[in-house]
Formats: sequence, structure tokens, C-alpha cells
Amino acid sequence: MTETTETFTYDYPAIEAIVTRHEAKGRAGLLPCLQEIQAFTGWLTPDICQLVGRRLDVPLADIYGVIDFYTLLYREPVGKTIIRVCDDMACYLNGSEEVLSSFKKWLGIGPGETTPDGKYTLEVHPCLGYCDLAPMAMMGDDVHGHLTPDKVADLLEVK
Amino acid sequence: MVPRTNILGKRVGKIDPGSLPAYVASGGFLALRKALTLQPEEIVHEIMAAHLIGRGGAAFSAGFKWAAVRRETARPKYVVCNADESEPGTFKDRYLLEGDPFRIVEAMAISAYAVGANRGFLYVRGEYPLAYKRLAHAVAESRRAGYLGLNLWNTEFCFDIEIYRGAGAYVCGEETALFESIEGRRGQPRLKPPFPTTNGLFGQPTLINNVETLANVPDIVLNGGQWYRTLGPLTNPGPKLYAVSGHVRKPGVYEATMDLTLQELIYELAGGIPGGRRVQAVLVGGAAGTFLRPDQLDVALGFDTLRTIGATLGSGAVMVLDDSVDLWNVLRRVTRFFQHESCGKCFPCQLGTQRQAEIVTRLAAGNVHPGDGAALTDIGLTMRDASICGLGQMASSALLSAFSQFSLLPREDEL
Ligand SMILES: Cc1cc2nc3c(=O)[nH]c(=O)nc-3n(C[C@H](O)[C@H](O)[C@H](O)COP(=O)(O)O)c2cc1C
Ligand code: SF4
Repeated sequence: MTETTETFTYDYPAIEAIVTRHEAKGRAGLLPCLQEIQAFTGWLTPDICQLVGRRLDVPLADIYGVIDFYTLLYREPVGKTIIRVCDDMACYLNGSEEVLSSFKKWLGIGPGETTPDGKYTLEVHPCLGYCDLAPMAMMGDDVHGHLTPDKVADLLEVK
Repeated sequence: MVPRTNILGKRVGKIDPGSLPAYVASGGFLALRKALTLQPEEIVHEIMAAHLIGRGGAAFSAGFKWAAVRRETARPKYVVCNADESEPGTFKDRYLLEGDPFRIVEAMAISAYAVGANRGFLYVRGEYPLAYKRLAHAVAESRRAGYLGLNLWNTEFCFDIEIYRGAGAYVCGEETALFESIEGRRGQPRLKPPFPTTNGLFGQPTLINNVETLANVPDIVLNGGQWYRTLGPLTNPGPKLYAVSGHVRKPGVYEATMDLTLQELIYELAGGIPGGRRVQAVLVGGAAGTFLRPDQLDVALGFDTLRTIGATLGSGAVMVLDDSVDLWNVLRRVTRFFQHESCGKCFPCQLGTQRQAEIVTRLAAGNVHPGDGAALTDIGLTMRDASICGLGQMASSALLSAFSQFSLLPREDEL
């Protein structure tokens, strides 16, 4: 069976396979299992949470508790690419406020929001650990450093 | 002369971090091989003799911890590498993880042999995807080539490593929160005691060390603890990585012994301040650290030397702020950080980080109320004294140090 969330298509066999790989570890398999599934699906739907809970023997309430504790796990739909703009001290000292404004301007959304086409979710993050590249942002797994408003426009291909 | 060293970073940027042959050709796995010819107690003894101090922030003696786990009779025991590096301004572990991942694999194996563990866990920050990829590759390659697995070099010793990825929570760098996270729970710190050495991961005796601490281990095993003590000051020996950011020409990671002064680090290694500006303040140790004034730059960046002026080295983060900066905008970010990252388990920190951030945000907007200074001091000291873990205990450190170092608040009679 194939289901479509707002931005992702996933099939149960692939998810079942991930769960099966982590099942033997029980609860210690929970975090990697959720992370791997989310890498496929973008976010963790209620039916995914139920499946994981049943197979890893973790109460559903605990699964929701774990997901909500961690910034990088999502229980709501997100865009295909999550943009994480660092606005912590080192990036601020090097102009992160301007960088953040240009992301907002070009995407037409604020932090925590997703573009209507489902392509991007914008987030403002505490220090991401790339202060030598300040000001910086991550787009998915890709790190982009020494950002300027111009470079942001290039990254988003809006020019 | 600037006391630079090239021990921890000797391979970084020089060899292909994805190549096991390149690692071995540059002396890799010699230390593990030597370690397996020694008694575990001898290795613990060398770490003790080296006077290796933990580099994760708490500055605890590594040898003491290794000996404590070694002594435990409960089985199994575990070793854990703390690669959750999330202290704002800190990126020195990433430098090692991305640049020399096999070294961490080797060091974990040595530590496991020394304390009597057969399983290792490496917990790497979720926002470090490249570091994760390289570590996963290094573990897989080492396993394939027989540097991890059963009966290494035909000895009794068996060891393997499992990698966990963090999921975006600063507090998970706290050792017991990290255990909770691996165990599949919310990453909230446990009450201590019991300590990890007796009741750590899955309740078992556990050795947990920072990435940089472990990176020191192979050279100590190869050259001995006595050699290590000749590097830099006797009380704080060995190479240290400093992550420099903010207003410097060449931000980055620099390696030196701990007699390096802040002046040397900023001006000789990091290239000085751009734009003809002057230093206004330096934040040492990240958000959990302390501010220093421009007249304090001659301090040596050691654990003990900084303590004598009321500061801490913490994670080794050094953030330079020039004289154009409105300090309130920096303090607002520090307090917002702790408000966001408090896990909420104990009330001094849960409430304190929120009140602290609210007041500082208002002050940063120029809206000062009488009694603000007293309120922030009261909140800060309460968090310091009554919080369960280091997050709450240090959440007011930078703010209170800024108050004592600079005249930031107007005098009450001027309001
Ligand atoms: C809030 C908090 C965050 C921490 N984050 C880290 C971290 O990211 N990396 C780390 O090695 N230690 C971190 N620590 C310190 C660890 O609890 C622990 O002391 C350390 O991993 C021990 O390793 P070491 O003795 O080699 O320094 C943190 C502590 C606290 C209280
Ligand atoms: S001090 Fe803060 S982070 Fe630490 S346990 Fe208490 S609430 Fe959680």
C-alpha cells in the first residue's frame, strides 16, 4: 500500500524493513528507528508511531514524548528540505540577522513555516557548531557557510 | 614563542579521512596494537601518569575515571564516546571527527581494553551529518579489516562500536542524559550519584569520554605518560584544541599547549581583529562560559590559570567580540539558548532560564526596571546552587560574569 503525506510518498514495506532491523534492540532501537524512517518520510505520522510502538514495545505516549523532546524529530508535516539558519552568537556577530531576513524574504515565510509548494521549511537554530563558517545555515544535510544575502538568493535559485 | 603543537590534528586535512590504508600508513592502529601487548592496568597507569584532563567541559581526571571503571566487577561494561558537541562556539570535536575519524575508533578500542569493556557506543551530534558519515565509514572499514570485532590480533580482546545520532538537544551532551537518549527515552539527566562509573548506560559500569579526550589516548599509549607531562605546563599537560570564532580574521581550530595566552591565540594564531577594531570582550567556554575583558588577554588558556581569574576553559571555545557589538544582543542569545535547551526536569532551571531570558530580552530592548540586576543575580545563584545538572548550574554564568566585568546596568538611582 502506498500512502501520500503532504510532501512525501512512502511505502509500508520499506518502513517495516527499518522497524524489523531495530526490533531486536527494543527501546534502545527507538531513536535510530525513528530517525531512519523520518529520513524517508519527512515526518512521523500517527500510523508510523503506532507501528513502531507495537513492534518495539514502547507505549505510544512515550513515543510522542520522545519525538516532542527532540528538535530534529517531527510530528507535523514539514517541507522537503529543512533550512536551519543559525542565529546564535558567532553567526550573529558575522551578520546572521541579514541572512535570516533574506531567507524570509525569498521564501515568503517566517521561522517554523513551510512554503506553500512544500519545498522548504524554515527554522532558526541555536549554534549548529560551524562557527568558523559564520554566518551559516544548513539545507538538509548540506552546510553553507560565509552566507550573504546574495548567496542566499543563489542557494534558493531565485535570481 | 607561540606553543603550538601538531599532535591531535596531525592528520586533519593531510590524509584522506575516508582511507583506512592512509590512516595505517600514518601510524594508525600502532597504539592499539601496542596496548594489546600490555596489561590493562598498565594502560590505566599511563593515562593516570599523563595527568590527562577531560576535554568535554567538566575537566575531570581521565585516569581517575578509567581506574574507577576498571575496578568495577559487574559485567558487561561499556565505553561511550561523547561526540554530541553542542556548546555554542564549540566545533573542535567536529574538526577531529571529520578530519581523523579512525583515531576515535582506535582510541575507543584502547579505552575498552583498559577498562574491560567489549562494546562501545559513539553518540554524535545530529547536526553533524558529515562527521556521522565519516565515522560510520571508519567503523565499517575497521570492522572489515579486522581492527574491530572478535579476538583482535589473536588476543582474547573483542570489541565493536555502535553509532547513535543525536536528535537536536543540547542537554544530551550531559552524560546521563546521553545514556537516557541511547536507551530510547527523553534526554533528561539522571540524579547523581550513582555515577556512570558504577551505573551508566543500561545501568552498567560505563566509561564516558569526550572526543578530544580520547584523541589524546593513542599518543599517550605510544610515548608514555611521562612524555605527555613534558608537553606544556606540568599541572595542565598535553595539547589542547581551541575553537576560535566571532570577530577574528581567521576563525578556526588551533592546537597548542595550555601555556598559550589569549593574546597569542587571538592575534598570532587567529589573525587579529578585522576592520581596525579593538576587542571589547571575549567569551571563553561558550554559553556556559565566562566573559573576559580586553585587559585580561595575557591569561594562559589552561584549566587552572583561568580558574584563578574566576573563569573556566569549559569546552575550549573562544569567541571574540569587537567594540562595535551591543553586548545585550549577545546576552539575549545566551539566555534564549538556555531557555530553549532546559529539559524541564527540575524547577530552578525550568523556571529560572525562562525568567532570565524574559528579563534580559526586555533589558536588551532598553526597558530597564528597578531591581532587574538583583532579580537576575537571585535567579542566577538559585539555578547555580539548586539545579540537577550542569545546564542549569551554568545557565547564568556568562550573564553574571558580564555584569561583574562590564558596567551594563544603569545605577538604580539613575532610573
Ligand atoms: C548541559 C551539558 C552539556 C554537555 N555537553 C557535552 C558535550 O557536548 N560533549 C562532551 O564531551 N561533554 C559534554 N558535557 C560533559 C559531559 O557530561 C561529561 O562530563 C563528559 O562527556 C565527560 O568526558 P571527559 O571527561 O572526557 O571530558 C556536557 C555537560 C552538560 C552539563
Ligand atoms: S538543570 Fe535544567 S537541563 Fe539540567 S536537569 Fe534540571 S531542568 Fe534539566
